[in-house]
Amino acid sequence: MKEALLQTLKNIMRQHKKAVLLTADMGFSVFEEIQTEFGDRFINTGITEQSTISVAAGLAHNGFIVYVYAQAPFITARCYEQIRLDVSYSNSNVKIIGTAAGISLSQLGVSHFALEDVALMRNLPNMKIFTPGDPFEAEWAIRQSYDLNGPAYIRIGKTGNESIHNGSLKIAIGKGIKIYSGNYASIFVSGSLLYLVKKIVMKLVQENIHVTLISLPTIEPLDKSLILHEAKKTGKIITIEEHSIIGGLGSAAAEILAESGISAKLYRFGTPELFTNVTGSNDYLLDLYGLSFKKILKKIIRIIK
Amino acid sequence: MSEFNKKHLTYLKSAAKKIRLTVLNMISTAGASHIASSYSIVDLVVFLYEHVLNVNPKKPYDANRDRFILSKGWGVSAIYAVLARKGFFDPSLLDTYCQNGSKMIGSSTKNSISGIEETTGSMGHGLPIGVGIALAAKMQKKDFKVFVLLSDGECDEGTTWESALLASHHKLNNLIVVIDCNKWQSFGRTKDVLSLEPLIAKWKAFNWEVSEIDGHNFDQMKSIFNHRSNKKTYPSVIIAHTTKGKGVSIFEDRNEWHYKTPSEKEIKIAQRELL
Repeated sequence: MKEALLQTLKNIMRQHKKAVLLTADMGFSVFEEIQTEFGDRFINTGITEQSTISVAAGLAHNGFIVYVYAQAPFITARCYEQIRLDVSYSNSNVKIIGTAAGISLSQLGVSHFALEDVALMRNLPNMKIFTPGDPFEAEWAIRQSYDLNGPAYIRIGKTGNESIHNGSLKIAIGKGIKIYSGNYASIFVSGSLLYLVKKIVMKLVQENIHVTLISLPTIEPLDKSLILHEAKKTGKIITIEEHSIIGGLGSAAAEILAESGISAKLYRFGTPELFTNVTGSNDYLLDLYGLSFKKILKKIIRIIK
Repeated sequence: MSEFNKKHLTYLKSAAKKIRLTVLNMISTAGASHIASSYSIVDLVVFLYEHVLNVNPKKPYDANRDRFILSKGWGVSAIYAVLARKGFFDPSLLDTYCQNGSKMIGSSTKNSISGIEETTGSMGHGLPIGVGIALAAKMQKKDFKVFVLLSDGECDEGTTWESALLASHHKLNNLIVVIDCNKWQSFGRTKDVLSLEPLIAKWKAFNWEVSEIDGHNFDQMKSIFNHRSNKKTYPSVIIAHTTKGKGVSIFEDRNEWHYKTPSEKEIKIAQRELL
């Protein structure tokens, strides 16, 4: 996804003189070309995430459209108050790109995990949240966020490099993308587990079990009508995200369903309200959290039967 | 700066008294707090708006205006009083300070009142925002200056020092910080809570141009104007030694006036000293 990100940012900065990119000392071996090409419109603000957000606000309040790039935990939770006050309150044109979201940096443990970032951002008025699931969605998210008046959070996982969509697809903000249609259950995925879940859905097809698969490249705004439509259709809503089951897509779906009065069962796949103190590969930790191919598949089969 | 004579001095002194009286009315009517924080900066703010800042109440959002950010947002009553006097809005609005539904909010808030630039009061926000604005000015090749008024307590915040690094690294000579050094913070004396000394050496070590003034002496404030110079390389910080609650004997250097609203009796004493 990083390649898509780099190319898209480069194109935007070529096209728009107002586009500025700040990085809190991240992007080694990614941004060197941008630094060379765009000079003072690329600023490495050093390891100053809190000030970086306020600096971005200062630039945005004076006519620039500012991308801020850093690893997800450090550019959300660490500087939450700066985002709340300097960016969200004033509806500033600051677009935060949080990389290595979820448990992407699995070997580094809890310090480098971002499993609460969507919950934090979802609370903030004006903030739009993009959770791209493949390079095409990522490119769209970065472009789309530029055109939005106001702040955005773009959550990029380490996985999610496999293409799901082809280039002719039209994506709209606040709209889900239907990837497969079935009547047994409806699966909504936000973010980089999309590829894994698609594999699971295809495996189910082989067993003649057809479930609907929908990708949600935006969580805020959320495609409420599609969730309600699917709830009526299949009666079983499954949410899958590399994020805490509290505050993210699962919670958002729960709120919508509970308030709708529509009778449907909700199953939330995500990380539990529990820290882990072990290390390991991405696959290992996803499995530990019940988010591996095997565990999701097994649970979905149980849900359907 | 332009000629500065005895007449100006008399005017500034009289204006500062009037501002303090206005602030007294605003705070006592609203049952609000922070009168001492406000009085501590009245002289500085009156001087800045009279002799330093290039701002126009008729064009409050002119792209070339100087930016003034009150980072110590809880002292905003002084700014409102000065802005009203300068014609940024109808002075009758001052009567609504901290009243239900009013936009005269008790801590500086963006998109509320004409002349208020940013949302501050949560400490350590004004300076990094100021760095962003100063960078914007450089990138846009605009000559306006960015002034940030910090409290000394805000020098506890990490973002103050992050920004100090950023501003000198980027040689933001268009950024001018004034520190209202009244030696108090929320709980007690700054030296007892979290010592900042040697404060001058700290800023110098961060490559800033540092000067020191008496924050109630208009003659000494003239030096602030020199920091507008484009000839210098680095950002400037002016450490202004002030007295919290300055201007009314019973408020001076007493931290309780960070919180208390003056009583009828205290209002009378203050009025007598300010009239």
